[in-house]
Amino acid sequence: MTAHEIEEYLAPMRHEFADPRSLILPALKFAQGESGWLPAEDMAAVAEATGFSQAYVESVATFYDRLYIEPVGRRVINVCVTLSCMLRGSDEIFDHLTDYLGLDGEGTTEDGMFTLAKVQCIGACDRAPCLQIDSGEQIGPLEPADATCLVDDLREQPAPARYER
Amino acid sequence: MAEHDDGLIVLTINGREVRAPKGTMLVDAAKAAGIEIPIFCYEPRLGAPIGACRMCLVEVEGMRGLQTACSTPVAPDMVVNTESEVAKDAQDGVLELLLANHPLDCPVCDKGGECPLQDRTFRFGPGRTRSLEPKLHFPKPLDLSPLVALDRERCIACFRCVRFSQEVAEDGQLTFQERGDHTEIATFSGDPYEGRFTGNTIDLCPVGALTSNPYRFVSRPWDIKNTPSVCAGCSMGCNLEITEREGEVKRLTGRPEPNMAVEEGWICDRGRWGYPALRSADRLQAPVLADAVGRRNVPLERAVTEASGLLGARGARVGILLGDAVTVETGFLAGELADRVGGGTPAMVARTGIPGHGLGPIRALPGAQMDDIDGADVVLVVGGDPCTQQPVAELRIRKARRAGAHVAVIGPRPTALDASCEALRTTPGHLLDAAAVINERLQGSQRAVVLWDEADLAAEPAAAEAIARVVAATPGARAVEMCADVSGAGLRALGIPAAGDLLGALEAGDIDILLTIGTDPTTGPAGDRWAAAADRAGTIIEMATHRTGLTDRAALVLPMLAPLEDEGVLVSMTGRAQRLRPGAREAAGAAAAWELIVGITHRIGNPVPDRTPAQAFRRLAEQHAAFAGLDYRAIGREGAVIAAVPQDPGSPAREPVGDGLLIVPCAPVFGDAVAHRSDALEAVREPSRAALAPAEAERLGVRTDARVRVTTPEGTAVLPLEIDSRLHEGAVYLMVGDPSSGAARLLPEDRGPVRAVVSAAAREEVGA
Repeated sequence: MTAHEIEEYLAPMRHEFADPRSLILPALKFAQGESGWLPAEDMAAVAEATGFSQAYVESVATFYDRLYIEPVGRRVINVCVTLSCMLRGSDEIFDHLTDYLGLDGEGTTEDGMFTLAKVQCIGACDRAPCLQIDSGEQIGPLEPADATCLVDDLREQPAPARYER
Repeated sequence: MAEHDDGLIVLTINGREVRAPKGTMLVDAAKAAGIEIPIFCYEPRLGAPIGACRMCLVEVEGMRGLQTACSTPVAPDMVVNTESEVAKDAQDGVLELLLANHPLDCPVCDKGGECPLQDRTFRFGPGRTRSLEPKLHFPKPLDLSPLVALDRERCIACFRCVRFSQEVAEDGQLTFQERGDHTEIATFSGDPYEGRFTGNTIDLCPVGALTSNPYRFVSRPWDIKNTPSVCAGCSMGCNLEITEREGEVKRLTGRPEPNMAVEEGWICDRGRWGYPALRSADRLQAPVLADAVGRRNVPLERAVTEASGLLGARGARVGILLGDAVTVETGFLAGELADRVGGGTPAMVARTGIPGHGLGPIRALPGAQMDDIDGADVVLVVGGDPCTQQPVAELRIRKARRAGAHVAVIGPRPTALDASCEALRTTPGHLLDAAAVINERLQGSQRAVVLWDEADLAAEPAAAEAIARVVAATPGARAVEMCADVSGAGLRALGIPAAGDLLGALEAGDIDILLTIGTDPTTGPAGDRWAAAADRAGTIIEMATHRTGLTDRAALVLPMLAPLEDEGVLVSMTGRAQRLRPGAREAAGAAAAWELIVGITHRIGNPVPDRTPAQAFRRLAEQHAAFAGLDYRAIGREGAVIAAVPQDPGSPAREPVGDGLLIVPCAPVFGDAVAHRSDALEAVREPSRAALAPAEAERLGVRTDARVRVTTPEGTAVLPLEIDSRLHEGAVYLMVGDPSSGAARLLPEDRGPVRAVVSAAAREEVGA
């Protein structure tokens, strides 16, 4: 991702933001769309395109859990572990997924296909326990077996053209 | 009445009536009245208060909730309570939360004993915690840079270091990452925090999160003695504090009570971490006598007697060469010594440095102090590069720009200010062309400050004259001379001339004894000429801190104290006389230069009346108009500005000597002798080198990884090459400083304009 591409992406929306700092977030999201995470070069490009220091751009990126500054899998599976989901068995779902993916807790599979993460409430308590794939719809309520089926389905899907985290 | 005729606002703090000027923050108003409100993040030097730490919460009657005293301005009839139950409860609560993840490892923390967090916890804190949860733990420490260590768990997220980086040094490198319950200070992708001012974050840190790597675990506050003194690293004259333990300088810090007229409490990293040079391997530890018996160490007493014997011999023609960082007392006493040597044949006294012919008109401009830059509407930097030569001046200039001044940097060198200020790059050797632009920028200004570079304008007297005319015609405009030499302004005020005539006399064989005081002329400008000329004098007597090119040839070597160990007065580039106070004494066999001179005059049998630098200073103030009325008491802690010295009129333009490319001398900040001697600065040290524009390098057929041969009428040096697209063609930028590189030797004795022939170095030279 080059600074020029980011500038072109930002050009139509610049007028919407009174404070130019507000451009950093859409720029980071756009940059992350390419490789699914934010390598240092991409953050540097965002810094160049927005006119802020690289360190400042990184400080913004680190605040948001869904902006990844370490490599993640092609798909990120976010398992909600907040109260409603926990009471309805999110622990079992999470453990089932770690076993199925061959992970030891949160992390990325060796083939780089999946990243499994625990997240706080994703706003679908009525469908607890639930999970979310990237920035997609919340999926639930789930049985542990449903979760592993989901993984199988995802494996067969092609890589997305752009990553929406 | 809440507002008085004197414009002060009246309010009540803790039942006491307090007056403060409008706009004062509550915390300052209380402090002035002797009431302490605890703070961590508040620091006016970092810009507007941000109320990040919440430590200063106070109760204000009629206002909902508690207010942060650091960001609440005084208002008429305000009733403030800092000790009410509500306020105390808030202070307890804030401290309890600040300590929630703090490891309380004070017994092994470098800050322990001089830590605001520790002090305020004792004074304002709850005494015990209710928190049972485990604290955060990080691997420790993390090297933020080779010089600054970060203990993340100690950090209370006060923002001071981040604000310094973002808003004072403007390097934009430090930020907070993972904001929230895991907030930590970081740089982009964990890169080292690089800069010229990084150490100030250590001084600013109110806890033990940022500590100095070279000082880590070196000392505890109750084992040290702190002495306020002045940095002799450049002509800025920054005030600093020397930390001594067991006779060694262990640390240098900015002054806790800054000199707002000079450095504002900031010091550069070279000044801060240059002190290990005091104990480098080449430091002279004991006097050396070389005579018919051989070359051997002798006691200091014996060495002084030998020196007086040589210097006092009837008919001896003596030349005294003063280094650029000697105190004015040493300069004055050298003059006194000159009248007492040779059995009545007065000695020549000279200083290494720029003669300054032709700088008369520009030096006659009204002078400004560094704090005048704060209120300036236009700031012009003409020639030089304050960012590397007088680094702390850069922070003032940046501050002026933030306050709305128009800042233009005019000269042949790229500078660190170019990105944020107007950069007007001139062709090397053509500062005269800039006079028109300077005139344009000064139009309509009322409080302009022009900082001009001594070396650059001395090389172009015509430009100096033209610029002086333009500035003199601007009402309210004042000037600051960016002196090339640390003590240049002071020695000039004593009327000590530059060394050209002395060098001539040496070369003509008119000098029998050369006495050098705190200088190594063989590594400086015209080093080869000086070396040959010194050989023509039959006898060399050397007073020096470190080994020099003359040490092995000298009949007598007297180790002398460095400025951090010495007492005396240095005059900064703004003409401010400031006192050095001895912080430690590291070389056992060394003595102060002034003391050695006094001893020699006693043994010659014609003693000077002075026994201390204070007495010498009082006498020199009587004899030299510039220092009239000054003594150590008048200088005090803040320093005193000396009077301007009448200058000789301008002289005609000068032509560069030699053939080839014009040399633009540059002084990298971590490139000087101190940086090369200090092991603390090893990681950031910069080599002396030659730099060329890409097109020029191509024309000469030299590549980046190559070394080049640079030849001037003064000699030849083989130097690493740097290719930099920001440089002008038709010039070679010579980064001088490392005494072993021979780069400075290529310049003429008066540092005047010179051309150099640059070519690729032959293979055998590269090996060497």
